[in-house]
Amino acid sequence: MKILIVEDELKTGDYLKQGLSEAGFVTELASNGVDGLHQALTGDFDLLVLDVMLPGLNGWQVMERLRQSGKNLPVLFLTARDQVEDRVKGLELGADDYLVKPFAFSELLARVRTLLRRGKNGLEPSILQAANLELDLLRRRVVRAGNRIELTAKEFALLELLLRRQGEVLPRSMIASQVWDMNFDSDTNVIEVAIRRLRAKVDDPYEPKLIRTARGMGYVLEVPEGT
Amino acid sequence: MTQRLSLTARLTLLFAMGSSTVLLVLGWLTGVAIDRHFEQLDFDALAGKMLLAQHAIERVKSERDFDTLQSQLSDALVGHHDLVVQVLGPTGEVLLASTGIAFPSEWLTSAPHGQTKALLEWSQGERSFRGMALAISTAIPRWQPLVVAVAVDMEHHNVFMRSLMRALWVFVACAALATGVLGWLAASRGLAPLRTMRERATAVTAHKLDQRLSVDAVPPELAELATSLNEMLARLEDAFHRLSDFSSDIAHELRTPVSNLMTETHVALSRPRDAASYRTTLESNAEEYERLARMISDMLFLAKAEYGQMSDWIVEHGESVHLAQEVRDLFEFYEALAEEKGVHLELRGACSAWGDRLMLRRAVSNLLSNALRYTPRAGTVLVCLSEGDGVSSLTVENPGQTIPEHQLLRLFERFYRADPSRQQATGEGTGLGLAITQAIVRAHQGQIFASSDAGKTCFSIQLPQTPDQPECTDLLV
Repeated sequence: MKILIVEDELKTGDYLKQGLSEAGFVTELASNGVDGLHQALTGDFDLLVLDVMLPGLNGWQVMERLRQSGKNLPVLFLTARDQVEDRVKGLELGADDYLVKPFAFSELLARVRTLLRRGKNGLEPSILQAANLELDLLRRRVVRAGNRIELTAKEFALLELLLRRQGEVLPRSMIASQVWDMNFDSDTNVIEVAIRRLRAKVDDPYEPKLIRTARGMGYVLEVPEGT
Repeated sequence: MTQRLSLTARLTLLFAMGSSTVLLVLGWLTGVAIDRHFEQLDFDALAGKMLLAQHAIERVKSERDFDTLQSQLSDALVGHHDLVVQVLGPTGEVLLASTGIAFPSEWLTSAPHGQTKALLEWSQGERSFRGMALAISTAIPRWQPLVVAVAVDMEHHNVFMRSLMRALWVFVACAALATGVLGWLAASRGLAPLRTMRERATAVTAHKLDQRLSVDAVPPELAELATSLNEMLARLEDAFHRLSDFSSDIAHELRTPVSNLMTETHVALSRPRDAASYRTTLESNAEEYERLARMISDMLFLAKAEYGQMSDWIVEHGESVHLAQEVRDLFEFYEALAEEKGVHLELRGACSAWGDRLMLRRAVSNLLSNALRYTPRAGTVLVCLSEGDGVSSLTVENPGQTIPEHQLLRLFERFYRADPSRQQATGEGTGLGLAITQAIVRAHQGQIFASSDAGKTCFSIQLPQTPDQPECTDLLV
């Protein structure tokens, strides 16, 4: 998977490049709109991470020209300005997603993965699995080490999200938005409590422990190495 | 051009024009009255002479008397140098005439009999005359009747009128000038309070917003303006104070996390450590950063509300929001937290409000999380929905310590914490939750109240059910 990052701020650009590379993506960095557009048109990228405020051509213009030339790769906008008009404009121009600075890197990573997954129509598995944990989407059943586990609807949705995004750190805001449709930061530790309760049912009585807290970032479900 | 004319100039012009008009009309009326008076005088004089002539002619009994008549008429009529006279016989022969003057023959021939004395005017050369003619019966059939005509030269009237008019014109011109000057003086004096107000207004700066215009010292017409300006100043002062308070609050609030980050990082860097402890430092930093980021986005949200961007958005994209459904969704979200705290969540009633679904959800979410935070174990957070008169009302009630009156008013202030130590310790929240709720409610043209009594705290929101409902407009803004 190849990602082009267009970001004029050096530090941000470098960290984005490093972070995405370490997450397993091939990345290239352009530091202005003109270079960015050129690289996007000539290179073969799967995703474009585009800053709005750019020297030369701004993000909107890069986007417009890209779409005019028939390139349909997904675009994730980054901006420091959270104006409703900006958001509407970006989405009208055909942006696929939108992140407002400052954002958590885990959030960016999660969205990048969502965008890259989109459009890939592999067969949707009806059973999600990690180690000895099994979640049956059709029968709405969770089984761990042969034991049936009863979950509430929201707990089921939470576990489903974690399983689908195995190995990805999911920020709290993303969990709140995906599971409860709460698209804003709550100033409570609701997610923490929900994860704790899920763990008590799914993880605590069993080995290996699958749900891990990535401190300061979010939560991840992964099979620990060496098991 | 006229719009840009100064008030003083306008008033001066109006004064001058007004007084000139009045004087001109007065002058004209005076002229007419004097003219009438002259006419009456002439009439009386001519009628008197005519009577003399009539008596003299009536005394003529025979032709013999006629010779004396001529001298009698001369004595009676002539002698007044402005007076001219002419006596005609029935066939038009001139019996007696002043020199150098011809009466218009047509009214001599058609002169009336008896008492009728109509005044007639005519001009001859540069002179103009006013006169009357009368046919008088005599005892002598040969001179039956005699026509007597008398007239006065109006020259002396005209001379008088001309000089009067000249004097009047000069007077009007002087008066217009004088009233102009007086008007200018009056206007400058009268507008002096405006200049005082201007001087006071110039003294108002960002640092001296407490300056006010004195309402008592200005005339009543300006008092209203001064009051309005003072109210505007008060609003500005209030907004300005809130803004500067906000800036200093931001600085304060940012100081703690930034200082934590700095200390932590400096300590970590002070000597070599193993990877695990670097990791712990970074993780702890990440938590602090997240808090900072949330605070920034909350503050931006409030700033947007302040600029009115949010209201515009709601006007354009508003919809009818089913509040009961929103509350149920929020209950689902807070369910785990509530259960862990041993708090029961209860919803009563249903209603819908007009606005942006996400924003309203956020507003109610903040109230719920606030209620959950302060509800003791085994308590119940009760949400009541009701509607009436086009207004939806939502109340969130929770048991908990009664909040004193003076704190209730401050609950919606940014960064205000009724119990600072507690908040800081748990690290929850940015202290902006209730301020955000209030901003959202106001952007929806709604109202929000807080009350606390007998161990129960209650937040109440009123929202319009359809757009543009004036009853719900927040009067506090």
